[in-house]
Amino acid sequence: MTTEALFAISTLAGWAGWLFFCLASLAGLRLAARAIGLDHGREQRSLLVNGLLAFACFVVSFLTPADIGRQIEGNGVRIPAVWLYMHFWGWAALMCLVMGGAAFIQTVLAISTEERATKLKWFCGWLVAGALSAWAFQSIAPQITVFRGAFFLAPATLGIGALLFFASLVFLAFSTRRATTRSTAKTLWTHLALLVGCVIFGLPFAWLLSSSFKEDKDLSGGVIWIPKVTETSAYLDPKHPQFLGTAYGMEVTAEPTKDLGNGKLQLDIVAPFNMRGRTFEALKSDLKPSPRQVPIVTGTWERTSFRGRVIEELDNGDRRVEALDPASLKGQVRDFKRDAVSESRPNGLRWKNYPEALQYLPPETKFGLVYLKNTLILVVLGVLGTLLSCAIVAYAFSRMRFPGREFLFKVLLATMMLPGAVTLMPQFLIFKSLGWIDTLQPLWVPAFFAGAFNVFMLRQFFNQVPMELEDAAKIDGCSFLRSFWTVMLPQVKPALAVIAIWTFMGTWNNFMGPLIYINSPENMPIAYALQLFSGDRSGEPGLLMAFATMTMLPVLALFFFAQKYFIEGVTLSGLGGR
Amino acid sequence: MPRWALTLLLTVALLMAALAGRAAPSEVIFWGQSFGPDSKGFEATIREFERRWPQYKVRVLSMGAGRMNPQKLMTAIVGQVPPDVVFQDRFTLSDWANRGAFMPLDDLIARDKGHDPFTPDLTKYVPATVSEATFEGKLYGIPFGCDTRVLYWNRKVFTEEAATLRKAGLDPNRAPRTWSEVLAYSRALTKIDKNGRLIRAGFLPNYGNSWLYLYAFQNNAQFMSADGRTCTLACPEAVEALEFMVKGYDLVGGYENAQKFQAGFRGNEFDPFYTGQVVMKVDGDWILPGFLKFVPGMDFAVAEPPVPDDRYYRRGRFAHERDQFITWAGGFSWAIPSGTRNKEGAWQLVKWLQSTEARVLENVAQAEWEKRRGREFVPRIIANMPANEESFRLLAPKDKNVAAALRLHIDISKFARIRPATFVGQVLWNEHVRAVDQAGIKARTPKQALLDGQERVQKDLDAEFEKEKFPIVDMKLPAYLGGGAALAALAVGIIAFSRKKMGRIERNEALWGYAFISPWLIGFLVFTIGPMVASLFFSFTQYNVLTDARWVGMKNYADMFALDQERLLKSFGNVLYLGGIGVPLGIITGLAVAMLLNTGVRGLRVYRTIYYLPAIVPSMASVILWVYILSPDPARGIVNGLWLQTLTPAFGVQPPGWTSVESWAKPALIFMGLWGAGSGMLLWLAALKGISPTLYEAASIDGASPRQQFMNITLPMLSPVILFSTIMGFIGAMNEFDRVYVISGGEGYGPNDTMLVPVYYLFQNAFAFFKMGYASALAWVIFLIVLVITLFQLWLGKRVVYSEVGQ
Repeated sequence: MTTEALFAISTLAGWAGWLFFCLASLAGLRLAARAIGLDHGREQRSLLVNGLLAFACFVVSFLTPADIGRQIEGNGVRIPAVWLYMHFWGWAALMCLVMGGAAFIQTVLAISTEERATKLKWFCGWLVAGALSAWAFQSIAPQITVFRGAFFLAPATLGIGALLFFASLVFLAFSTRRATTRSTAKTLWTHLALLVGCVIFGLPFAWLLSSSFKEDKDLSGGVIWIPKVTETSAYLDPKHPQFLGTAYGMEVTAEPTKDLGNGKLQLDIVAPFNMRGRTFEALKSDLKPSPRQVPIVTGTWERTSFRGRVIEELDNGDRRVEALDPASLKGQVRDFKRDAVSESRPNGLRWKNYPEALQYLPPETKFGLVYLKNTLILVVLGVLGTLLSCAIVAYAFSRMRFPGREFLFKVLLATMMLPGAVTLMPQFLIFKSLGWIDTLQPLWVPAFFAGAFNVFMLRQFFNQVPMELEDAAKIDGCSFLRSFWTVMLPQVKPALAVIAIWTFMGTWNNFMGPLIYINSPENMPIAYALQLFSGDRSGEPGLLMAFATMTMLPVLALFFFAQKYFIEGVTLSGLGGR
Repeated sequence: MPRWALTLLLTVALLMAALAGRAAPSEVIFWGQSFGPDSKGFEATIREFERRWPQYKVRVLSMGAGRMNPQKLMTAIVGQVPPDVVFQDRFTLSDWANRGAFMPLDDLIARDKGHDPFTPDLTKYVPATVSEATFEGKLYGIPFGCDTRVLYWNRKVFTEEAATLRKAGLDPNRAPRTWSEVLAYSRALTKIDKNGRLIRAGFLPNYGNSWLYLYAFQNNAQFMSADGRTCTLACPEAVEALEFMVKGYDLVGGYENAQKFQAGFRGNEFDPFYTGQVVMKVDGDWILPGFLKFVPGMDFAVAEPPVPDDRYYRRGRFAHERDQFITWAGGFSWAIPSGTRNKEGAWQLVKWLQSTEARVLENVAQAEWEKRRGREFVPRIIANMPANEESFRLLAPKDKNVAAALRLHIDISKFARIRPATFVGQVLWNEHVRAVDQAGIKARTPKQALLDGQERVQKDLDAEFEKEKFPIVDMKLPAYLGGGAALAALAVGIIAFSRKKMGRIERNEALWGYAFISPWLIGFLVFTIGPMVASLFFSFTQYNVLTDARWVGMKNYADMFALDQERLLKSFGNVLYLGGIGVPLGIITGLAVAMLLNTGVRGLRVYRTIYYLPAIVPSMASVILWVYILSPDPARGIVNGLWLQTLTPAFGVQPPGWTSVESWAKPALIFMGLWGAGSGMLLWLAALKGISPTLYEAASIDGASPRQQFMNITLPMLSPVILFSTIMGFIGAMNEFDRVYVISGGEGYGPNDTMLVPVYYLFQNAFAFFKMGYASALAWVIFLIVLVITLFQLWLGKRVVYSEVGQ
């Protein structure tokens, strides 16, 4: 027998032992608690059987040597563990096997023939599913690796864990005594499960936010939840002066490159980033000296620890540091080897990622405002077009009589089945011949031509509006247009709100459209801009995450204001589709 | 409709028209590079250009265009809004030139020679790079880079393992020179633990940057026949080279084992070459700055990449070879699209950018900038030889290892070989990548894998050379046909309507009715039925929009079921996997949360919001977030980070490679999908609330257990919603596009085509290769399959879904 198998048996036996032990203790506690309506005989049997099983398992587990696996270093109490590592399908097959086994036992133990037949069906079902999964497993990734290892728990952790475990056991045992406690327990479990889910669902958000406030230094190495920020100090550098001035209609920071005489300087823009490298000329009197932010470092200065700021990076890689603390050293300057001083990085958030991310966008986009504008244009036109066209078409299909109505409506339903892929290329050629490539038109014009799904949904709602309302309007001499606009439309407002929200989401998320039609940043909506940004800034995830957060914000904000409609929307779209 | 709404509509429409203004002629639009914090040098050259030629203004946009993502450029050229200068991978130039997308530059050079000192002098360029940019005797781009590959070896590990190497009869003081030597060194240096996991790899043939091309060139393989009409990807020399690569992988426990090992690699200071996890690799000069930044003073060395033994010892078929060593050079070039709206500006910019002055300026400015940040700069090797020498003179790195490496990179460029200049360059590249993959995982033998690729490339070649066989067809035909059919239908409709006996009021109502449905009717004709007819028509043609279309009959369909059958099946297999597992898992997750929420817990609204929130995160942001969360680097990918903190120390299990590994890529997509299960949850919640509580009361009086209640009441009552969710989920899976596009970066389909999905495949064919005809045929097949699946689900639904109407 291989050591792996031995180890697996040992550990599995150990685990099983603990399980039986728990069951036995639960029975024992129940007996001790004298719970109401307790089947004493059954509990006693359970106590006995589980206790014996636990004992047997422990014996097996202790007899097989537990240290044959790879030795893993660690402190505390060693809890051996085993884990199977295999592809998804392997797990599916294993689950089917276990469920099938359970069904088989139930079949054997079944009381009535009827029950036996049902259980047999289940057994066969699991067997088939298991065989299929096993086949998939075999053909995709037929590897099972048994990983052996151990957890190391500090004695305190182990103690507290055990205490909690027994407390919950006691709680479970006693909770059967009264019906109310039982429901309390149930509520607690529900909340617990929901909270765990919330943590899992919220984790990506938390990580997104945390990353968006990180410096690049924290984005390699290990997991860091709380960002750190390099402390800086404002320093007026006499060697490389910097000025604040106005150029190209905005406030810029710039470095002088040439003295032109007459009190005039030629300057090279440093910030904002998208203007970097452009030059301009300015009068010295119009410029304001602007300090640089230099990193603060700590180190030892002749056996006294000190804080200082790096005032120059030297050619040979050393750093010139001016001391700040303690007072006795203040103002003194000395050169240090690069690793002799370390940058001071207290916990903090790097808010600058947000404005910086926007500065990296092309200057034509006005720090990304143009993206927002384009997206809003698309959203407004898309929603307007969809609502108007769908409502009027749906109204006609619902309330007006004209030859061919039923036939046309069937055609409309049929188009719902059509995947967009079929019409993609001819549509591209149509828009190309119209000269609409690299404009927003291809993205919003089709919205004015009533999408089938929305028409279908709205028609269902129009159908539910009582006939009498419209008849009354007609008797008063209302035209169709007028009765549609003033009588019928207000009746389906909730459905309209829902369609508006769906169109909003659809337009905001549309990626393939802009990918095909839009080429210049001035016409780009946010979704496509974000994808391009992620390609360009993959080396600076802090900025990328900041930008991604910013693109989410408008939608999340809308959600919090219109939560009711969002939630209704899902419900309606689902139930409307019946 | 009130007047204000109409006015608003008109104003907005006018606004839109005004916004669609074209770029000013003095603008030069440059695609393929972007300004970033580290692009100071490039920026300096652009700003200097604007200073010297103030009549032009340059707009630099990355657009993913240069990075082998041809789709964007192609749509822009076809849509007649191309950029003016493109920074394009050189080996694809012929492909574009063949379609007439780029402008030949010979006339411009001849015109300016002697008048303008900035005119490119091609004799000063590495000859191989110029021939790579030349197609059918014309020059289509000015070469920029010349990224030669050399062998990097970690001398520190060699010294530490000197005894082992000597025992194997190898000299620890030099690098391997031949293929058999490199394998012997790799065998001696590779460490594998008893679980078969790689601890250290001596040499991974395709790690770094070598591909099959390098080894095949060393073995004198030709990928194309001299006349450019036959693809010889599977020539014996290339097969030998691929066999060598496979052998190299076998030494480290196989290709998949190596990939698993590579999935755990991290960046920056943890680069596997720095840490000694990979002892030897073939790579380009772009990795040199990293040594100075992350591991200054590291003890490494470079050598010419190892060559076939016969070549090194000059025997056999190499007896009379001039070159003992061979390297492969690629690189980018500046090209001008033929539809440029600013030809003079574009040419001026290219002339400036290629000049030695600009090249040196770029390096000097970048060096200055790096120094300011306390970093050292290493100039890149380019095709312009005088610029290389000048930059090396001014900015030779102080670190002697790095300087030696740079020197070798410059000197070896005279042995550089290039990829063949052919219009199937991109397909050839894709197929060769695929062949390495297939041979690596042993799905095929090297020969089979290469033959497979060769066949596909040949198909494209034949299609081009044989197209004269097929008659030209006027592409206005479908428009006339479609328009005619629509008019005829309209006429028939009008006649039928006027013949119908109707009262005045009735007729009035009918006319209004037609007017009301006209938005849909027009949209249906113009955007649905018209394009459908057109697409059916296209599917019988060979059409790339830029040149004449040819009527090829059923050829597209025949191709699909012959050559592409495997890929097509794979793509549908992939979506069935995503739908078949993702949809039920999504339903289970959503239903589980909904049932927990439906127990009457307090704080329902809060929980509901939290679970629903991920579903409304804009899809692009969500994909980018998940790509980040699942990245292998623990500092970025929190999943692997947490895994490394918990599971790895306990069990020694290395985290999976997620999107970079075949077996985990689709589960990764499914996990991403589960995060958005919140919208389903709302649906379930509403459906659960709709079930009458009396049913449960009755059941519990009869003594039904909670499980029985679930099976016999909840599930049947929910079955219509389950059907609906399944159908919608499957339709969603069939339309999978955004996520795979973002994850694969618009190139390739993931490891072993694991992320090949129909819509993406169609998109690539339509907008990257502009095989409009073939893509249309694909679209129809996809449509039919989706239809069959949906109808099957509906049929199944009728049999198992509980319907209140029927009771």
